[in-house]
Amino acid sequence: MTQKNGSKIAILGCLMAVITGLVFLEGCGGSSSTSSTTTPAASNTATVTIGFGALGPSGGYVNGIWTTVTVCAPNSSTSCQTIDNVLVDTGSAGLRILNSALTTVPASSLGGVSADSNGDQLQECTQYGDTSYTWGPIKLANVELAGETASSVPIQVIGGTSAAVPSQCLATPVNPTLPNGGNYDTLEALGANGILGVGAFGFPYDCGSGCTLTSNLTQTGYPYYVCPSGQACSAITTSTQVANPIVAFTSSDNNGVLVTLPSIPATGAADATVSGSLIFGIGTQADNALASTATVYALDGYGNIPTFTYNGVSYSSPTNYSVLDTGSEALEFLDASTLAPAGIVECAGYYCPSSTLAFSVTATGATSTSGTIAFSIMNADTLFATNNAAFNDLAGDSGTSPATDFFDFGLPFFFGRTVYVGMQPGVFNGETSPPSAASSATYGYYAF
Amino acid sequence: MKSILGVLLILTLGTVPAWAVLGQYESSVSVDQQSLKGEDRVQAFEGYKVHQLTTTNGTMIREYVSPQGLVFGVAWQAPFMPDMKQLLGSYVTNLQTASKSQTQVRHLRGMIVKTNDFVFVNSGQMRHWRGNAYVPSLVPSNVSVEVVR
Repeated sequence: MTQKNGSKIAILGCLMAVITGLVFLEGCGGSSSTSSTTTPAASNTATVTIGFGALGPSGGYVNGIWTTVTVCAPNSSTSCQTIDNVLVDTGSAGLRILNSALTTVPASSLGGVSADSNGDQLQECTQYGDTSYTWGPIKLANVELAGETASSVPIQVIGGTSAAVPSQCLATPVNPTLPNGGNYDTLEALGANGILGVGAFGFPYDCGSGCTLTSNLTQTGYPYYVCPSGQACSAITTSTQVANPIVAFTSSDNNGVLVTLPSIPATGAADATVSGSLIFGIGTQADNALASTATVYALDGYGNIPTFTYNGVSYSSPTNYSVLDTGSEALEFLDASTLAPAGIVECAGYYCPSSTLAFSVTATGATSTSGTIAFSIMNADTLFATNNAAFNDLAGDSGTSPATDFFDFGLPFFFGRTVYVGMQPGVFNGETSPPSAASSATYGYYAF
Repeated sequence: MKSILGVLLILTLGTVPAWAVLGQYESSVSVDQQSLKGEDRVQAFEGYKVHQLTTTNGTMIREYVSPQGLVFGVAWQAPFMPDMKQLLGSYVTNLQTASKSQTQVRHLRGMIVKTNDFVFVNSGQMRHWRGNAYVPSLVPSNVSVEVVR
């Protein structure tokens, strides 16, 4: 595909990354303390707040983890807009912002991405597991997080097109119980002004090589399209995919993130009373060293921790996977029938044991490191009755039977610990990412 | 998959296999000329058999067929979300008419639908979707629904 407005900008971004990388290598090469000749380290810590988000208790959702993102025109530090209530999601890649949230810096002021010789713009239909979707153009933007700047990175502007969503993308019937018919192009439907995908897997693009192969263009659920005026949208291959903005940082803090949240009481914490940190880079600054006490769980080629074991039964990827996912509100752990002997009772999709239950599972990474993970599950009805918004013991079904069950360690898992999300090493805009803090993790890793 | 009685392997490389449809006869495999190109491997187990369709892009669809020749379950692992209209056939209606109390939505991540005679689970993200669906009344009495994976 062609990329009229973006190619020069992307090259500039490359050069900046090269220059920055060289400075870093020269200044920090031999010892960790010889930083006097380098440019000052970027402020690499963004604040995250836990709560219902922009919609509040009636329309928002529990255990949302929110941060603030500044979106600027490409290579501009002045034509910028700060957008709050953006969900931090370790389960996806890239920044997606509602078109309706871009007010002072409208989508039209961001960099366009032409997808054909007529200048028609690249569009994306991003599907989610609940069959909802976000539909809108890809734009190039500078993305600022704390003191970091991602230079000219592709983002999705949700709802930023008048073209109808292609039926090819929606061959999976949208669940009619979803808000706005599953089209999450409004604040009411999405529950957020945007999603910041900082996942470990799939460096650094949302679709990856699957969207560069013409043989995939007839696939249902294919994400990238061009929609010429008056014509139906056509699926197209593209390398200008929505990308984790971390990799486009002009600093060297671009190999992962740390999510640090405080402990909270078993009965939860009120809306927006719990704050933590989203720290960029792993082992790149004094504040983000990979702790020697942390166990590294390398991911497999599906982006999963390959194996977890509960009650003597081993569950293995890809059929039964486990992930650490700030974008999930609960510990999605096996299913109520399987856990009935342990005292789990289901209540409207969550777990409602009569008393708080303690569990432990063993997780084993792709490089065979393993550890025991202990957690508690409290009655979800009791938790919701508190009207609190942050819970460390909210859990529910992942599936209906061990055949497809999994363990999605949602936000409850993240309280009271630091979780390292190490990105899969790879190449972005021609630049190889800096060394991973866990070099054996081919597909990225989690550590805690 | 522990109750393997006998294994029958049929490799049909280079043909255009398509998907069977939940609740329909096994012959729907050949009726549907869907774009899935790849390999159809058939395995016989005690009480059922499985068509495993795989493609070079990493899509795997498994179709579970009863001795009566009806597809009682389907399972998928795929980089792009499969065409559920194709896979589920008329059971798409069950998916779409399930009430809120029969549907568990994991915001952005997954969905579970449990009705009297239709069970559906989907989860994942772009690059890696997985799930299954089955019709309890069509599952052979001596076969566990656990096989549909």
